[in-house]
Amino acid sequence: MAKKNTNANKKNNMQQATAGDVAVDVQGVTKHYIIRHQKSPSLKDEKKDRLLKGKDTVEEFLALDDVSFTIKHSETFGIIGSNGSGKSTLLKLIAQVLKPTKGQVMVNGTVSALLELGAGFHQDLTGRENIYLNASILGLKRKEINKRFDQIVEFSELERFIDMPVKSYSSGMYMRLGFSIAINVNPDILLVDEVLSVGDQAFQSKCYKVIYDFIRRGKTIIIVSHDLETISDLCKRVLFLRKGKIELMGDSIQVVSRYRAYVEELERIRIAEQQKEERKKIFKSIIDSKRKVVAAEEIEKLSKIDGGASFEGRFGKGDAEVTKIEMSDEAGNLIDFCKSDAVAHITLEVKFKNLVENPIFGIRITDHRNSVVYGTNSRLLGIKTGVYKPGDKLKVTFGQKINLIGGHYFVTISIGHKDGKTYCDWINNVMTINVLRKNNSEGIADLNSEMIIKQI
Amino acid sequence: MISNFKKLIAYRELLFSLTKKELKVKYRGSVLGFFWSLLNPVLMMLVYSFVFSMILRQGIQEFAIFLLCALLPYNFFSNSVNYGSGSIISNANLVKKIYFPKEIIPLSIVLSNLINFLLELVVLFIVLSIFGYKFYMYLYLLPVVILVQVLFVSGISMLISALNVFFRDLQHLITILMLVWFFATPIIYPLSMVPQRFQFWMQLNPMAVFTSYYRNIFYFVKYPEDMYWPSLEIILICLGITFLFFFMGYFIFKRLEPKFAEEV
Repeated sequence: MAKKNTNANKKNNMQQATAGDVAVDVQGVTKHYIIRHQKSPSLKDEKKDRLLKGKDTVEEFLALDDVSFTIKHSETFGIIGSNGSGKSTLLKLIAQVLKPTKGQVMVNGTVSALLELGAGFHQDLTGRENIYLNASILGLKRKEINKRFDQIVEFSELERFIDMPVKSYSSGMYMRLGFSIAINVNPDILLVDEVLSVGDQAFQSKCYKVIYDFIRRGKTIIIVSHDLETISDLCKRVLFLRKGKIELMGDSIQVVSRYRAYVEELERIRIAEQQKEERKKIFKSIIDSKRKVVAAEEIEKLSKIDGGASFEGRFGKGDAEVTKIEMSDEAGNLIDFCKSDAVAHITLEVKFKNLVENPIFGIRITDHRNSVVYGTNSRLLGIKTGVYKPGDKLKVTFGQKINLIGGHYFVTISIGHKDGKTYCDWINNVMTINVLRKNNSEGIADLNSEMIIKQI
Repeated sequence: MISNFKKLIAYRELLFSLTKKELKVKYRGSVLGFFWSLLNPVLMMLVYSFVFSMILRQGIQEFAIFLLCALLPYNFFSNSVNYGSGSIISNANLVKKIYFPKEIIPLSIVLSNLINFLLELVVLFIVLSIFGYKFYMYLYLLPVVILVQVLFVSGISMLISALNVFFRDLQHLITILMLVWFFATPIIYPLSMVPQRFQFWMQLNPMAVFTSYYRNIFYFVKYPEDMYWPSLEIILICLGITFLFFFMGYFIFKRLEPKFAEEV
């Protein structure tokens, strides 16, 4: 059973507060949702279902799975995770709106939840009336509202509109009023769910000022956001939820960077899935046509829609073939990751099956969004490669400094004919380079900024 | 239980502001505003007087007043239950986002209808004085009767509003149920018109007992020979049923409350 504490029973709060400096204690919390499928494929089926079972078909959804953590007073705590990971459910459990299926949630102190701004506004009432209504829903007494009324109005910048019904407000005005009320309730614990993106720049910076003010005054703040900058900026400790379980919890920089990597991975998988079909279609058309020569435009197309490090994206006439590919550091040790700024050698072994004159050896590095980060080939570099007979073997090494910000990058290799239009062998995304993340910059390219600050 | 009540008391300000909201919203946009609460019973009386003195003639004297002093309390009951039944669902945004004792929602509807009822009673008092009814004779009984009725109405409202979250068909059934209840309560007819052997059973309905009291206080003061005071037995049964419904409504509401946020 969850123990509830609201401003309603302050006495109780006082007793529990002396128990320690824990603001929120979540112990072994599991939350099931029951999803009812109301729409069966046909009306007849549905009727049968209803008659047989007397109920809609029911599915259980596990939103949170045995989650435990504690938040101390005066802590700013962030919760991150992809959609459906259980963040909002967790926040609602702390706000006491939901009850856990198993486990317990203990809260010490008054809670104000910015779950949805303006929840409970009544369209036909004026801004003034809604302030009184909403603030009393959030637990304020009339006297307290009277005292804070001017502050609320001033903060919302709605002085001129305060006696108009809120249905005539723009969505921005609506949110501003909601935010102003919620923060002026002055709770011990503030729950914030994706609401810091309210209003224009000026209002937003005001919101941040208020949040910082809260932090300075030693209030406990729990923030759920997809905005990782905000999270790592505001929070010391961050919880990363994944499919209802705690993936990682701790120092915000560490957790946020792990989450970033996870999101990138997800994004890469998503793109790969999405493009798999299209890729298959084009390959099928190439294979079906039994052409030995593939036109450059088609290769261009194929290389753009690839994803996933597999040999699936391989084609070519077969006059020469890549038989091996590896990456090593400057000392020649094989590696599968490297540091930003380090030199990496990518070496291919090539075997010739027919006579090939002046083949063009090419390399291309792409990021997870399939944008080309870097690419070059022997022709562009002005290297004469020579003539090779069937059975000849060759070792080709590309050496480059990896001036990249951390993340996953993919290597595509090609051996082209001298006409520059057809290929002996092309392998898409044959290798992944994992670049260790540096936490001093963002983006793709590492331009190694040096900052100089001088007083003038 | 006691802590729940304490919480409810702590949130009384919210109860009042939600009640205020209900009243404000009801008349927002209309020119006469809350005067409608006063005007409504007057207009109703005019219509009933016309219908029952010109078209449907029967033997009851000053039928409009006879009717009104039972109809107003009944309307308080049926409006509260009708509006209350869908109240949790229509306040889904609050239920899902903010923590507070949810029984405040149906109770605020009962309270706003009570205020409306009291305003209508003021109009009734004026009409009664004009027609020479000495309604002040038994007026001391009125607060007690109203209080007991409020308990009964609150219980039913909480019960129905909670059940309606899970069985949405209820809301449609309620309209019909209220109509049946209307005819099962001696409102458009006197209890004396009911065959003797059914009278006891009819009075198991607390609304029937309340009606007897309202009618004695307002109407039969002018015709004391027709006054009917329910027996002690019936009074005790009525109180028993009222408390039963109140606590049952409250307990079932509290039992189902944690599930509201997921179901609405």
